[in-house]
Amino acid sequence: MSIKDRLSRGESRGDLERRVAELEAEVQECRNVNLRVAELTDLVTQLLVPLASGDQEKVRELVEGYHAGL
Amino acid sequence: MPVTDVRVDDEGIHARSAREVILDVCFDGRRIWSFWLHRDGEAREDGHLVAWPDSLRAFLDGSTRLSLNEHGDPTLVYDEEVRLGTAAGRIAVADRHGNPLALDKDNRRVKTFAGRSAEHVAPLMEAIDEVITGLGKVGIEGFLAYGTLLGAVRGGRLIGHDSDADLGYVSGHTEPADVMLESFRIQRDLATLGYRTTRYSGAAFKILVPESDGSLRGLDVFGGFMREGQLHLMGEIRAPFQRDWIFPLGTATLEGRAFPVPADVDRFLSVTYGPSWRVPDPAYKFETPRSTTRRLSGWFRGIRTSRKDWDRAYATGSFDRGGGPSDFVRWIAGQEPDPGSFVDVGCGRGRDLAAMVQWRGVPALGLDIHERSFRRQAAQHAENAAVRFWTFNLLERRHHGAVAAYTGLALPARRVVAARHLVDSIAADGEPTARLAELGAALGQGGSGRLYAEFLTGWGHDGYPERLRLLRAVPAEEVEGALRAAGARIRHRELVPVSAEPGASVTCRIVADWPSDGLSAGSSTGSSTGGEA
Repeated sequence: MSIKDRLSRGESRGDLERRVAELEAEVQECRNVNLRVAELTDLVTQLLVPLASGDQEKVRELVEGYHAGL
Repeated sequence: MPVTDVRVDDEGIHARSAREVILDVCFDGRRIWSFWLHRDGEAREDGHLVAWPDSLRAFLDGSTRLSLNEHGDPTLVYDEEVRLGTAAGRIAVADRHGNPLALDKDNRRVKTFAGRSAEHVAPLMEAIDEVITGLGKVGIEGFLAYGTLLGAVRGGRLIGHDSDADLGYVSGHTEPADVMLESFRIQRDLATLGYRTTRYSGAAFKILVPESDGSLRGLDVFGGFMREGQLHLMGEIRAPFQRDWIFPLGTATLEGRAFPVPADVDRFLSVTYGPSWRVPDPAYKFETPRSTTRRLSGWFRGIRTSRKDWDRAYATGSFDRGGGPSDFVRWIAGQEPDPGSFVDVGCGRGRDLAAMVQWRGVPALGLDIHERSFRRQAAQHAENAAVRFWTFNLLERRHHGAVAAYTGLALPARRVVAARHLVDSIAADGEPTARLAELGAALGQGGSGRLYAEFLTGWGHDGYPERLRLLRAVPAEEVEGALRAAGARIRHRELVPVSAEPGASVTCRIVADWPSDGLSAGSSTGSSTGGEA
């Protein structure tokens, strides 16, 4: 429904402003997921997979190296 | 119209000018500060008063030859011997090693490039060279950006009032998550080359380069990408742009060396500083459109909440020095006669960790945001392979992952995890309680550890929160709720006044664990008057 229709149905400007604020917050929530996806992907590919497949003697070195690159 | 009616006193600088002017303030001939008279001043009957910035006030006790000139015009509009405060000596705006300081555009005290010799900045030039080469090795074409580009294009020199150097690159990716993964990889590659780095956001980090006199200089690496016909570059730019205005990169000279720059420097600097970029303005402030800030913050930011407060705290050598272990860690030790290991999240100076190592002889890990905080204790424990101090950002999940992995390897159960004045030292929008609960769950899963948290819950009139630089009082229910949401069982909750004085601040102690049956979230065996810990 268009903004014009909403106004003609009696929705106040305040209602629309609140709705816009809600939508902005929801858009930000979606954007925030990017950082989480990147962090978790990095953890899985750079730490968990090498830990699972690596030489156990080198595991500590691997973990300390990962931390040093943060 | 000239600048007239200049007067300098302990309040600030008074001056009159019909038009807006940028004024440089020099003490004994050295530029210290620049401001816009109208923008930064307060209108008074006799013109404008620009108050001394707080960052400068601490130095303003003594005499100096104070001069003012319009930026870019050497003609002095004021030149007088001035006495501020009550001291008899000369005013020296310098750090404790005697390095001259000045204020940057945000009125922060910085070691600016003014007065630095070619020898001083040579390591930074080499670092720029090496970092650009390093970026090239991983397929990234880096270039000079922001003030560094401006200095190179305007006069081939670092800008005197600047204090760090800036590099940018434009990724081939268009999705923010991919841009961040790439930025993580670049930072890791540079760390492998031996650079010290610290991350600003998902797409920007700083390299700390030691200058020839040992002082550290920042080299910022800003990630950028094209999306929907717009150039996005951390931390301020989103503007309609074409990729071929960046590539192929051109060249400009900086401090005698050739460096890559965007293909169309004019367009690039115009979207950075506006079309008047050729006119010098040391007090320039970015006015980033709200839509740009919303996008860049939504995608990339949120990992530095309250960071500046703690950088500032630990820049003060005397902060939280002296004294022994806290009452809290003594209490923990009383509850935990035989722990397997100890983790102190937000360990500060590291005294509590040192005490637990001494009392219980267990492997331990101290975590804090700033390596300067625990440097002394880390040096004292350098020979003990079972004791580690790591820089740690509670708000970065990659840090959680690294700590969890290390803990699994080197810190046996039962782990005692302490978090004293952590959730109250990070603003609420960083969601520190949720992050602490997640970390606690990772370190204590299956009954392998217990979390002991102490935080301010009642802000008193005793100066306690101010002395510890705490940022907020946290309701106990907020912490309990976050812990329960992360699957914790609350074993104990207790309110503890920090002294017997009336109006004393009150802390809350909470003990939580994550039992192996996984069914006890929400159950509580403790109480506000004490219980089993």
